Amino acid sequence: MIAGPLLLLILPLMMAGVVYILLRWASLSALLSVGTALALGVAVVTLPLDQPVRPFPFWGRGYQIALGEAVTFFGRELVLEQADRMAMAFLFFTSAGLFFLAWRVTPHSLLFPMGLGMLSLLGGALLIRPFIYAALLIEIAAAFSIFALQAEGQMPTRGGLRYLTFTTLALPGLLVTHWLLERYTLTPDETGLLSMAATLLAISFALLLGVVPFHTWMPAVASDSVPLASTFVLTVSNGVIWFLLLDFLETYPWLSSHPRFESLVFTAGLVMVVVGGLLAPAQRRLGPLMGYAALVDSGAALIALGMNSRLGLTLTLLSLLVRPFGLALMATGLSGLRARNGGDDGLDALRGLGWKAPWSTAALIVGGLSIAGLPVSAGFTWRWALCRALASSSPGVALFLLLAGASVMAGVWRGLSVLLVRPRSPEDRSAVSSGISGGTSEGWLTAAVVAVAILGCVGVGLFPQVLAPLAARLAEIYTFFIP
Amino acid sequence: MPTLVDLLARVSFLAAGPAVAGVFVTAGLLVVSRDWRLNVIALTAQYFFVVLLLTWLIRLEVAAVKGLVGWMICMVFYLTERRASVLEQPSAAAGAAASQRRRRWVMSARASFCLLAGLLVSVAAYTAALRIPLPEVPTDITLACYLLAGLGLLLIGLSEAPMQVGLGLLTFLSGFDLFYVALEPSLAVAGLLGAVSFLIALATAYLRAAQIAAGGEGRTP
Repeated sequence: MIAGPLLLLILPLMMAGVVYILLRWASLSALLSVGTALALGVAVVTLPLDQPVRPFPFWGRGYQIALGEAVTFFGRELVLEQADRMAMAFLFFTSAGLFFLAWRVTPHSLLFPMGLGMLSLLGGALLIRPFIYAALLIEIAAAFSIFALQAEGQMPTRGGLRYLTFTTLALPGLLVTHWLLERYTLTPDETGLLSMAATLLAISFALLLGVVPFHTWMPAVASDSVPLASTFVLTVSNGVIWFLLLDFLETYPWLSSHPRFESLVFTAGLVMVVVGGLLAPAQRRLGPLMGYAALVDSGAALIALGMNSRLGLTLTLLSLLVRPFGLALMATGLSGLRARNGGDDGLDALRGLGWKAPWSTAALIVGGLSIAGLPVSAGFTWRWALCRALASSSPGVALFLLLAGASVMAGVWRGLSVLLVRPRSPEDRSAVSSGISGGTSEGWLTAAVVAVAILGCVGVGLFPQVLAPLAARLAEIYTFFIP
Repeated sequence: MPTLVDLLARVSFLAAGPAVAGVFVTAGLLVVSRDWRLNVIALTAQYFFVVLLLTWLIRLEVAAVKGLVGWMICMVFYLTERRASVLEQPSAAAGAAASQRRRRWVMSARASFCLLAGLLVSVAAYTAALRIPLPEVPTDITLACYLLAGLGLLLIGLSEAPMQVGLGLLTFLSGFDLFYVALEPSLAVAGLLGAVSFLIALATAYLRAAQIAAGGEGRTP
């Protein structure tokens, strides 16, 4: 019998090695990565937690998989609970989507093997008990991400280094918190230990989530790294941080009932929204614009959590589920445009490029729409609900949210206007006419992959009932907001 | 032939004031110097002093293993920078080398600034060690922790070059490790912290290699 948690951690790690060896065959390595992530995602969703099953009964003895069985790994317990199950499914499906897009826009990328390795580590961070090991596994995953973030032939990724730096700075707080809480259980009279633990946790999660003023890694990582790898960090790795935060709140209910919790989280989110909203339209490159758009989105999710209610928690979880749609599309567009422009994504250099790379441009715009939270996109589903929820209690905050979305869209619009400038030279005009008639340099397969991603993003926007009930069900698992 | 543990046992009389002074000097050198040879030697010595301090808190064998991980990291840095210097040699002008030799003994404005900043951080660390003592560790180790963490942070803040940031992160982690072993003596945590340090070293070496491949500035800012 194979214990589920071990399978979920060891299989991606093994496949990371296989994919690394096969990396020169772009399609094979990419599709293996997609297949692994997808298969694990399906297994997490479909296999029952409470009883062992035989997924391949036609194989000899027919190995049994016990998904919910706790295992001890080097003396630490690994257990898959209901909340972790959804989080793991999010991890695997998001990764599968990113690998699928990377297949066409960044083939031969180290994102495939490193992404699978990171999946194993981040999955381990969600499953392992006690939490201190999660902090260490996240740190190791951050070190792994450097290899995926670094673009070939480019200068060292400043964003990757900053991400690693902020993750390392967050590590001591998380580790010492565990010791403080253990000591508090022995000496419950020392309430100062709890205050110290809460402060350290707040600082550590602020560093990990990119709360202002620790936000500088977010635009930097989007600015000079492989775009889809930066999306992996901003969605998958960041998603694990969110789930870990929720696990902390669930395990230590005094954190969410702390008198300053609501105001602290709410203010942190608002500052992120304001800073991101102010800086996004001022960017002269598309990479940092994506980073600031992600900052606004994260800030909005923190505002939702700061509402300290079941609705707020549902919206936070919904934001985690829909964020990959917008960011992945933006990153796909950015990759395509950079590839056709020698790695440069400055607005001055992109003039008229939209005619030569219409699918990349479309991906960038639809992704931008989604991350800005505008209608007919995935992001709209939760941002509009959040604005409506805030309209009665905090109309000013709702207004800031709308303005920040409009600011992000202004930046995207500025990019679009540059990309669609009509070329003047005859050669460029011929490129435009061939682009319009369907003969772009992007290839039909890339166009098909991008079209599927755009349809997915718009589909979720048009039919929010697909993901919203999932978020609501996931929110029901967490009980810390129930009075 | 004496083992590493025997050797550490023989020099363990240094595991107090002298080791803290050694940590101060080596971390200070990392902040001020941009010469990779000096930096690798300073980091090697820093790990030696950290191991000496660790012998106060944990078993000698575990401290020796932590030291070995640190020295392996130094080896990674040495090999990376050695390769980088070989690749950069053809592009370096002959006259530049002579002028650099002359300049070696004259302190640049950058180095002076780094020295001053390092001294300020050290004073802050000393004050913090007196005012905010860390739990479960003696005063000498508290001072060493604050010095390593403070100077590591300074190193991270002063440069965006991969190797400098990597050295800063490792110095910061050494400071934290020195404190944390007293709180959590678990071997699993010690192993994972060692793995974290080693992976940070590999990641920064990878970025340094990318810098060389992209034809970037050989000499770090």
